[in-house]
Amino acid sequence: MHRTTRTAAVAAVLLIPLTFSSPAHPRGARRIDTAQAAPSYTYVGTVHAVNARAGSLDLITGVGMALRLVHMTTQPTTLFAGAGASLRLRALQPGDIVRTECRSTPTGMVASRIEKVEAQKP
Amino acid sequence: MTRLGVALLFLFIAAGCNRPVQPGDPIPGLARAERDRFARGKVVFDSEFTPHTGLGPLFNSTACGECHEDPKAGGRGDEVEIHATAFSGGVCDPLVQEGGPVIQQHATPALKQALGIDSEPFPPSASARAMRTSPVVFGRGLLDLVPDSLILSYADPDDRNHDGVRGRPNRSLDGRIGRFGRKAFVPTLREFNAGAFPAEMGVTDPEQPTEENIGGKPIPPGVDSTADPEINQEALELADDFVRFLAPPTPAKLGKEGRRGRELFSQIGCATCHIPTLRTGDSPVPALRRREFAAYTDLLLHDLGPELADICLGRAAPADFRTEPLLDLRDATKFLHDGRATTLEQAVDLHGGEGAAARNGFKVLTPADRAALIAFLKSL
Repeated sequence: MHRTTRTAAVAAVLLIPLTFSSPAHPRGARRIDTAQAAPSYTYVGTVHAVNARAGSLDLITGVGMALRLVHMTTQPTTLFAGAGASLRLRALQPGDIVRTECRSTPTGMVASRIEKVEAQKP
Repeated sequence: MTRLGVALLFLFIAAGCNRPVQPGDPIPGLARAERDRFARGKVVFDSEFTPHTGLGPLFNSTACGECHEDPKAGGRGDEVEIHATAFSGGVCDPLVQEGGPVIQQHATPALKQALGIDSEPFPPSASARAMRTSPVVFGRGLLDLVPDSLILSYADPDDRNHDGVRGRPNRSLDGRIGRFGRKAFVPTLREFNAGAFPAEMGVTDPEQPTEENIGGKPIPPGVDSTADPEINQEALELADDFVRFLAPPTPAKLGKEGRRGRELFSQIGCATCHIPTLRTGDSPVPALRRREFAAYTDLLLHDLGPELADICLGRAAPADFRTEPLLDLRDATKFLHDGRATTLEQAVDLHGGEGAAARNGFKVLTPADRAALIAFLKSL
């Protein structure tokens, strides 16, 4: 299961340069293609900064010690969720772990869904 | 075959089975195909990168094997690298926007020509700087397979047993339990290895196909013309397998003094964190599966006191360090995460915080018992 997920992530990452030239898509970025819509990506990472006024979020992702920053903006249609309840962008804080679903647009990554997740408890 | 021949063959096989594992050896019992990958992975591990083959533009070293070389490939190195992060309000910032926590000490000629720098600029927002030696990577494939549940079984963040030791796991960026690196920030060996190519050599790979920025600024045009990723999936997987299959060296046979030292190691509390043996879980590699091995770590974070404190990372505060696995100590000449101790006695003496009780226990031992404990450590 883990290997399958990793393989999918790697395949997604490898395909990215063929489609886009600018944003970084490190490990953990999972691309989902549909026939009609723009490609979307799923990132799971740690919140670095939130600008509620600008409606933007900086997320730290990466592999090992090679970390990268992903900048994304939100829209009025962006869905927020956390601990089974609705959430607002301003409720997120640096250090929070989130799963985001984004679309790559000419102006950058746009989040369609942001979910605050709890740390894994095996 | 005569009876004598059979007996000699049996003795020969028995002797082979008991051959101690030396530094740099593969895990015993690997299948032929796995040993082949180990050998081919070593070639990648020792490969020297150049700017033409992906090195840089910022880097600490030109090859994995340049820093992990002593006494054999996968061993330690005399290089000391610099890390930096910012700790504020209980939150750790790995300074990704300023180039990330690993501060590369070299620049390619093209970058030097473009920006006039010999190394990565030290991030202005850093609240602390850390020095990091290159550790041995023997036995990491076994550590990778220790189940999270076993690591958590040793955790005692609230010190419920009142022994003054509060082991707790670090967490990765996405919340998984970390275990690799001096701050246990990285959850899997694969991720550690895949991250090491770009972080240490500036060589992008399929799992981290983007270069780091230069102190927060993009790489100047023309400085890094090698297409990303700069190594392919096969090379990454071979290097990963080489590290994964590196065996922990067999501890030396203990004499009377060493056996006494081993008893003292437990009696004075060293073994509370440096847990002598761990057991792996399931693995597709039979030689790694459900194996008990000498680890001398709990893979947890412990507060070692203000004297050793340097940077934060993930949920590790500046004074928190993962219990270092005590592997191949016999070949070590520098100790602790930054190499500040030149003897094992100094290393023990520098344990503060949660390690203070064991350190104090060491201090009140008789000279003969202290020597016995050191003899035991040097057998590892």
